[in-house]
Amino acid sequence: MASLRDIRRHIASVKNIKQITYAMKMVAAARIKRAQKAIFNSRPFALKMEETVRNLFAEMEEEDFKSSPTHRLFEKKSEKNCIGLVMVTADKGLCGSFNINVLKTAVKWLRNNRGKKIKVIAVGKKGRDFCKRLRGLDLEIFYEMIGIFPKVSYVHSNILCDEILKLYHNEADEIKLIYTEFKSMMSQSVETKNVLPLKSLKFSGEKGRMDDFEFEPHKASLLEALLPRYIKAEFYRILLESQAAELAARMNAMENASKNAADIIEGLTLKLNKTRQAMITTELTEIVSGAQALGG
Amino acid sequence: MDKKLILSIVTPQEVYLEEIPVDFVALPAFEGEMGILPGHAPFMVQLKDGLLRYRTNAEESVFAILGGFAQIENDRVTILAEGADLAKEIDEEKERQAYQRARDALAMKGADIDLDAAQAALRKAALRMKIAELRRKRRK
Repeated sequence: MASLRDIRRHIASVKNIKQITYAMKMVAAARIKRAQKAIFNSRPFALKMEETVRNLFAEMEEEDFKSSPTHRLFEKKSEKNCIGLVMVTADKGLCGSFNINVLKTAVKWLRNNRGKKIKVIAVGKKGRDFCKRLRGLDLEIFYEMIGIFPKVSYVHSNILCDEILKLYHNEADEIKLIYTEFKSMMSQSVETKNVLPLKSLKFSGEKGRMDDFEFEPHKASLLEALLPRYIKAEFYRILLESQAAELAARMNAMENASKNAADIIEGLTLKLNKTRQAMITTELTEIVSGAQALGG
Repeated sequence: MDKKLILSIVTPQEVYLEEIPVDFVALPAFEGEMGILPGHAPFMVQLKDGLLRYRTNAEESVFAILGGFAQIENDRVTILAEGADLAKEIDEEKERQAYQRARDALAMKGADIDLDAAQAALRKAALRMKIAELRRKRRK
């Protein structure tokens, strides 16, 4: 049976843990407000961007389009047998199953794509470390982006997308993305998406509403400049979503941890009191029986 | 002049201006500055880093714009920029220090990502300094 001092020490250490988890929870709670606001603020830009791309795309002549370098972003390639994978995880642990969920999805995906060459762009330390640990796969880390959370800005998305486009133009046939979507404070879900080639836009054949527009520079180069920005706006949103999801996951995990710590402390205090009482009772019995033996 | 332009400036971080009525807008267009008055033809133009000026009645305001696009349609001017700052809020001395910091970071050449971020910071600070200078000159 544990001595009183042991139990006291145990309680003290659990209390320390609780303090830390509680502090982490409060930090995450404070940050998540800002993260949510950032998502909210990025929405109008993304919407306008999409609208503009769609309109401009409707304006393009098919011949013009085929001859411009932009059509490579839409065309399916298959000659290189190489896939790019963008994986967005967190830098730090202690956020429940946030990282595990992304990595599990990645493992499943990797299993389905055995035999292909895979180039990974890892955002977040956990994802990168995971890729470094993998053996027996034709897998290579193309680019890593570490230490951007929880201060994601558009600059990061800029850099990330430049790398993605480089990978796509030079080596990979297509680019896949695995990230966590922020649904609400309580639920986050892992999403797998095709990034490139772009598929969402099609030639409708009819004239768009920008029929009477003038363009400077001309349409094709405008579209060429616009599309990477469109992708960047999309990735900015993705990074923000993942950031908010991480914070939400951490907040929940730390709240549970604090709750569990409180439970443990309660249990230990009970045990401490019982032990103390048992000790007093034993001592009393000993004294009483001793006195009885002597006095008779 | 009765007709007004409706100006919006949208960046990924924030909606800076939402549909405010103005009399005149000058954009840092791809091939030189471009002035827009009400009744302008529909137009779409790529922007470079530079100054965006607009005038409401007699009052002129200046924005710093970092790359992007402008769309003009039915007297609505929509700016999609990667970054924007109201010139009034720019502090020249602070920017000079930011510029210096970015230069130092570049000179030290840390990890890849720091380098890229520093380059972006340098670009931004340089533009803001230019704007602050311009504003100072105009005030004199």
